[in-house]
Amino acid sequence: MDRRKLNDLVREDRVHRRVYTDPEIFDLEMARLWSRAWIYVGHESQVPEVGCYYTTTVGTRPVVMVRDETDRVRVLHNRCAHKGARIVTRPSGRSSVLRCPYHGWSYHLDGSLAVAPHPTGFEGTGFDRCDPAFHLKPLARSASYGGFVFAQIEDSGVDLETFLGDTRRTLDNVLDRAPEGRVTVVGPGLPYLHECNWKMFVENLNDAVHPMVAHASVGDACRRYMADLSPPEPPPEAQIIDPFGSSYEFFDKMGVTALPCGHSYMGATSSIHTGYSDIPGYHEALVARHGEQKTRAVLSQNRHNTIVYPSFTIKDAIQALRVVRPISVRETLIDTYHLRLEGAPEALLRRTITYSRLINSPASMVGPDDWECYTRMQEALSHDGGDWVYLGRHLHQEHDTNDGLRAPGTSDLSARNQFKAWLEYLTGPETEMTGEARCR
Amino acid sequence: MSLSTRREAIRAFLEEEADRLDSGDLAGWLELCTEGSSYWMPVSSEQTDPHHEISLLYENRTLMELRVRNFGHRLAPSFETPVRCSHLIGRIRIRDDTPPELEVTARFHCVMWYRNEQRIFAGDSRYDLLEKGGSFRIRRKRVDLLNADASHKSIPIYL
Repeated sequence: MDRRKLNDLVREDRVHRRVYTDPEIFDLEMARLWSRAWIYVGHESQVPEVGCYYTTTVGTRPVVMVRDETDRVRVLHNRCAHKGARIVTRPSGRSSVLRCPYHGWSYHLDGSLAVAPHPTGFEGTGFDRCDPAFHLKPLARSASYGGFVFAQIEDSGVDLETFLGDTRRTLDNVLDRAPEGRVTVVGPGLPYLHECNWKMFVENLNDAVHPMVAHASVGDACRRYMADLSPPEPPPEAQIIDPFGSSYEFFDKMGVTALPCGHSYMGATSSIHTGYSDIPGYHEALVARHGEQKTRAVLSQNRHNTIVYPSFTIKDAIQALRVVRPISVRETLIDTYHLRLEGAPEALLRRTITYSRLINSPASMVGPDDWECYTRMQEALSHDGGDWVYLGRHLHQEHDTNDGLRAPGTSDLSARNQFKAWLEYLTGPETEMTGEARCR
Repeated sequence: MSLSTRREAIRAFLEEEADRLDSGDLAGWLELCTEGSSYWMPVSSEQTDPHHEISLLYENRTLMELRVRNFGHRLAPSFETPVRCSHLIGRIRIRDDTPPELEVTARFHCVMWYRNEQRIFAGDSRYDLLEKGGSFRIRRKRVDLLNADASHKSIPIYL
């Protein structure tokens, strides 16, 4: 597909339905966007010791994250260099070698070939055990920021820190919220299979005009239940559910900030998580590390959903992160992971888990209403009958700040910003724009 | 009471529970639960802690009350299409019988019709029951799905 055709699909205030439904475009996204952006792989705490591995995907490609003998975390394609069989099939585990069950080719934890059985047959064939062509292939680059591991299938020339840009402040804030300065992934992830294009999920993260509509029922159920209580005392769960019914004005005030590379976040000093009650002992533990003044600053940062486009989103005040794993043009896996703030009271982890169960679980009373809306878009946009999806709220009303482009929270700025980056990835590298420029 | 009569009484209770779920009568289902009841559907059969590890569901009485009021709500996009279920229960075993408390396990198959698709759920249910006045109430129910760790689509109702 040539550049002109792709350019025709994205206008200033709308996108063509094909961006969500055309398998050819999905393939281009995998080849150009998901291969060139830094994609979230996992957290270092998921491979805590030498030999620990964790399997996942980068784009649609199966990969394995493994801690090698030198304590370095590697990201390797999960495919035997011999006949191509998947090397690791367990979600996670620990092993001293990575061995293919088909012909027994075995690899060191850094991906180099340790053993290919019955070596006499290789004599004089040009086979060389030291040739990287016979090793588990590493992704072009992998790097960690504060334990969060990202990788690139192709080297775009942009380092991870530059790519993350101001979203680093969200990750820094998450780490600052831990009295010991580090976080750990707890337990397995929570996968939720979506029957929609991946972009629908990512756009929805900073869409503030849907909660009061799509999630109206659960707020209503909550209010009706409280009215039935005597005395009507709000249960702790209401603290999590109630804000989903917040007004348009509330979300407008939260604001949305668009950053280079398609990243964005809502909120800054207030979000739907601001009103949570204090957990005993937590404030004191933070003061012991940061002092009173910095503790206040750390806790006053409240970014609702920070999106590291296209694969990762985190809530700094909630310590739950979600990972986007495209499967096909109309199927996307969303994996939620939960972080323990090391040194913080366990009650914080309990709140994170409660939040996630109430909001992100496929059996929750919130996620399925989003799911339903995405699926309806996917189904209806697959057919003719109006080609354009409108993204024009608050168009031209952004203002440039030192921290990025800001707009009222109900703006479609975040989605427009994603498509700006999308087009730059998909129409590169023929464009003059280098990877570096893309992230400025 | 003979063991077989006792087993029959428990079977009748679990079948009544399944009837209420299958007919989408969540309010009626909640009447079968105690005030302090909980419903747990973990993501792994090895899970022992509902609070500090993620689950598909862990609901206390408050959340059950919310769910009853949210189920089929006219403003919920996910409930514009109906949910229909058909449970089969078998291999009911009394694990512990210390009146008024009982621990009972059962196997279930549940076929669900939702959003133009028929899906199959299967697994183990573990009940902590309370006997009161010749009848039972659910104090705790834990559902271990055969594929608890699978990538699930929306699960709109208790199983």
